[in-house]
Amino acid sequence: MKKKAIFTAIPLLILVMVLAGCPGGGATGTLEFYANGEDFVRQGFVSKDGWSIQFDHVYITLDGIAAYQTDPPYDPQTGDDISGDFTLRLAGAYTIYLAEGGTSAPPILVGKVLEAPVGHYNAISWKMARADSGPATGHSLVMIGTAQKDGQSIDFVINVEEECEYQCGEYVGDERKGILSDGGTADLEMTFHFDHIFGDADTPADDELNLAAIGFEPFASGAQGKDVINMAEMHLGHVGEGHCHCGCH
Amino acid sequence: MPKKWRVIAAVIGVLVLGLLLPTEALAHGVSIEYTSDIEITIAARYDTGTPMAGAQVAVYAPDDSSTPWLTGVCDDEGRFSFTPDASRPGIWDVQVRLAGHGGMVHIPVGEDTASTGGVGGYSYLQIALMAACVIWGSIGTALYFRRRRPA
Repeated sequence: MKKKAIFTAIPLLILVMVLAGCPGGGATGTLEFYANGEDFVRQGFVSKDGWSIQFDHVYITLDGIAAYQTDPPYDPQTGDDISGDFTLRLAGAYTIYLAEGGTSAPPILVGKVLEAPVGHYNAISWKMARADSGPATGHSLVMIGTAQKDGQSIDFVINVEEECEYQCGEYVGDERKGILSDGGTADLEMTFHFDHIFGDADTPADDELNLAAIGFEPFASGAQGKDVINMAEMHLGHVGEGHCHCGCH
Repeated sequence: MPKKWRVIAAVIGVLVLGLLLPTEALAHGVSIEYTSDIEITIAARYDTGTPMAGAQVAVYAPDDSSTPWLTGVCDDEGRFSFTPDASRPGIWDVQVRLAGHGGMVHIPVGEDTASTGGVGGYSYLQIALMAACVIWGSIGTALYFRRRRPA
């Protein structure tokens, strides 16, 4: 009798523990992860110092991608690490071709997690890591393109070797993201603002963005990426229009 | 007259006097109602301290994270005010955006224990299982103490 009670109790206890550890009580959906270089990468733009930049290829390698359900919501301004009530990880490292497609191409699907527990994934983190293989081997970011100014045209290849970890709160944009319901599909976006590196002629010269950006002139003069780019100060990674906490090394 | 009767007579007298007083005196009464709505004001600024004048604002109620409950625009000082629906307690999310940059603030209204998106709560299945475990444990404990000890 005693053994029977124990054998009944153990599976029930395990079931309770499993359900208690998963938000949504076992209901699942599909959570997709996207990378977006925005129109700066797809259509090109004019840097703060007047160079018209067009990208042929932009490779960025993303690793350790994780989505979180946090309560209270994560605030990247604090500089703290994300402490999620539930964490969902996308396994693997991905080298993404951010300039893929035409000028109106949609964001690029990095990967998806099937049967992700439902809930509001209101924080995300990832690492911009050096690629182990492929066209960007040894670099975390590779920008290849052409810059033109006053009749001068320069073909450039800018490599970045720094690795950065981005911790971000909720996506900020036209619609809210990461709200996953039972049997549904939700998405999260890793957004990259390349105007933070080169500046933007459409933004006032005294804007904080342009004051922090390095422009294109140093590269036109032959500088290498590692010579002038300090990724920790560039704030490349965003969630839509929302800023992230960034640490680079 | 016994003291008891004197008290009763005094009470009756006061009541009768009250009934005989002119009713017009009640016309000076006032009716005061109140609501406990709380206005919330946010102030949105860039890191530099510059106000986000003209920024777009979207307010989300706790029970509908997808559809804005209210939209508006910040004033020249980057301020925006709204009065949340007190019948919808929980975390009210306010998103502010301007020129490609933005952020969110999360404001608790009403019950402190309310949370967003169901995070941190229990599903009905979890609650049912926990209740079953408690009942099962109680019955087992009761039966254990009620069993007869061998003579």
